[in-house]
Amino acid sequence: MNRIESRMNYLKENNKKAFITYTTAGFPDMKKTKEIILAQEEAGIDVIELGIPFSDPVADGPVIQDASVKAINAGANLEKVFVLMKELRDEKCEVPILFMMYYNTAYHYGLDAFIKKCAECGVDGLIIPDLPYEEQDEILAIIDKTENAPVFIELVSPVSRGRIAKIVKRSRGFVYCVSQMGVTGGDAHDFHKNLHDYLAEVKRQSDVPVMMGFGIKTAADVKPFEDVIDGAIVGSRFIKLLEESNFSTEAVKDYIKKFKEEM
Amino acid sequence: MDKKDNRYYGEFGGQYVSESLMNTLDELEKAFDEAIKDPEFIKQYNYYLKEYVGRETPLYYAERLSEKYGPKIYLKREDLNHTGAHKINNVIGQILLAKRMGKTKVIAETGAGQHGVATATGAALFNMECTVFMGAEDIERQKLNVFRMEMLGAKVQPVTSGSSTLKDATNEAIRTWAERAEDTFYIIGSAVGPHPYPKMVKEFQRVISKEARKQILEKEGRLPDVVMACVGGGSNSIGMFADFIDDKDVKLVGVEAGGLGIETGKHASAMALGEVGILHGMKTYLLQDKDGNIELAHSISAGLDYPGVGPEHAYLRDSGRAQYVSVTDDEAMQALLELCKLEGIIPAIESSHALAYAIKAAKTMEKDKIIVVCLSGRGDKDVNTVQRYLNGEETNK
Repeated sequence: MNRIESRMNYLKENNKKAFITYTTAGFPDMKKTKEIILAQEEAGIDVIELGIPFSDPVADGPVIQDASVKAINAGANLEKVFVLMKELRDEKCEVPILFMMYYNTAYHYGLDAFIKKCAECGVDGLIIPDLPYEEQDEILAIIDKTENAPVFIELVSPVSRGRIAKIVKRSRGFVYCVSQMGVTGGDAHDFHKNLHDYLAEVKRQSDVPVMMGFGIKTAADVKPFEDVIDGAIVGSRFIKLLEESNFSTEAVKDYIKKFKEEM
Repeated sequence: MDKKDNRYYGEFGGQYVSESLMNTLDELEKAFDEAIKDPEFIKQYNYYLKEYVGRETPLYYAERLSEKYGPKIYLKREDLNHTGAHKINNVIGQILLAKRMGKTKVIAETGAGQHGVATATGAALFNMECTVFMGAEDIERQKLNVFRMEMLGAKVQPVTSGSSTLKDATNEAIRTWAERAEDTFYIIGSAVGPHPYPKMVKEFQRVISKEARKQILEKEGRLPDVVMACVGGGSNSIGMFADFIDDKDVKLVGVEAGGLGIETGKHASAMALGEVGILHGMKTYLLQDKDGNIELAHSISAGLDYPGVGPEHAYLRDSGRAQYVSVTDDEAMQALLELCKLEGIIPAIESSHALAYAIKAAKTMEKDKIIVVCLSGRGDKDVNTVQRYLNGEETNK
């Protein structure tokens, strides 16, 4: 079974919330990324979102944009991330890992080759923020016919309204509920005014776990929504933490453990 | 994927945007489709084009240029529009639509500043709050246009992400739009972006070919043999081609910026290498590196300095209906100087690319042939660049 799906099932059976953190691959370099991933796993992270750096990350705010630029300048690219993934899996790292990436990176690689490579290297899921429901047919068809292919994570937004039903129907792994309008980053003040109602609506319609992301810094930020979500995703804050702690694996572990405890 | 769906031109186009914008695009498409069929809206649009922009623009027979090179060369004088280029045609259309949709704020991206100035102008005219995103590099290069926008009451927002140029300004405009779409309308300046933008920009630029077709029939009693226009994102060219697309005997030629030469890698010819990718909400031809990261375009003309091209152009290229070529910085500058001396017209460097190719092509054509060139803008904005070029100084960065 897919690692994300099996972890999500396990959490559900044990009545626990999921915690996901985002790291830009190759920031500051691939070696450090590997250490960070292993530290995340050790601290008990449920799923790791690994960002594939892209030159034009339109769904990201300044923090992740900056990390992407630095990673690209340090030589990170998709091929090297595949090498890292293969290494991790060969060394028995079994933490669920998904790619957060922009469509052009996969498209340029060749969609067939890309999905096949993901399957080979143990990539468990894909988040592609510039590939909305209407544009997914091509990649989903390839995922469907490929053994051990990653699951495609669907995103919904506070203004998805009538689109929620068809999106969640197609969801696997979990549904990624964006908490605010605009890009990654910001904080709880930026949460959409109808956030609770919207999350409740997604939760009502969805058969898979509902995860909330964008603008989350602490477990307290998601407390008001604990009745309608199955977990939280932290991106920009996690990147900030890495920078502020000079990429300390201890800081990573402390942050994850604390967040999980408090959630 | 249903390739026949109206969001696509062949395999190009589409809506590669975040989920947050999908309902916005849907609302925009509905509003646009209704507006374009509403005689009252069209009347309003035409009123401002005539009384404010100063249309129709002449289709000018370039007598001395024609004499020198052989065939008859006509220039569609978009440079004579208010604000000095074709950009205003589209801005008037989109801003009227924004008002109709009840939006109170507009945002725009700009490279050299021409679309920014046109948007600031329209925003002043229709009393809308206006923010223009512009790369910090471009702000440095185009100080005068920044000042113009500010005089017109717009806020110029410097963009320092990525390469600090047009593509990054566009990214930032998209990010802001995703956040504020409820009260904010994004006025895209070129025939690019997610559906329905390329379609919308084409409709609002169609007036160029609509007039030109009528004018050439009046003057010559027949259609031209070739129609030419420069292509950055492709708004003046799609407007220049639009009403000629069904005239199968009229050859359509789009001229991309060849920069220092395609072989040097320093150019802005998105279609020259034929690599398809996804940027700014559309699938189209793009300049990109081996990892699929977007590469910087290079052209002496800031207005053509864009790494992609509108999806309909990509389709016209693949279907063979239009031909796309490129001319270098040097060739464009020579054509610019020649038009100054022969016709007393200072063309924009962008438009000079089309002109340069027209001159090249004219040399191989018979005397009775007719060429129509879209002179998309005037060159007053470019005189500093021309001066630096003639002095042998750096012109691009």
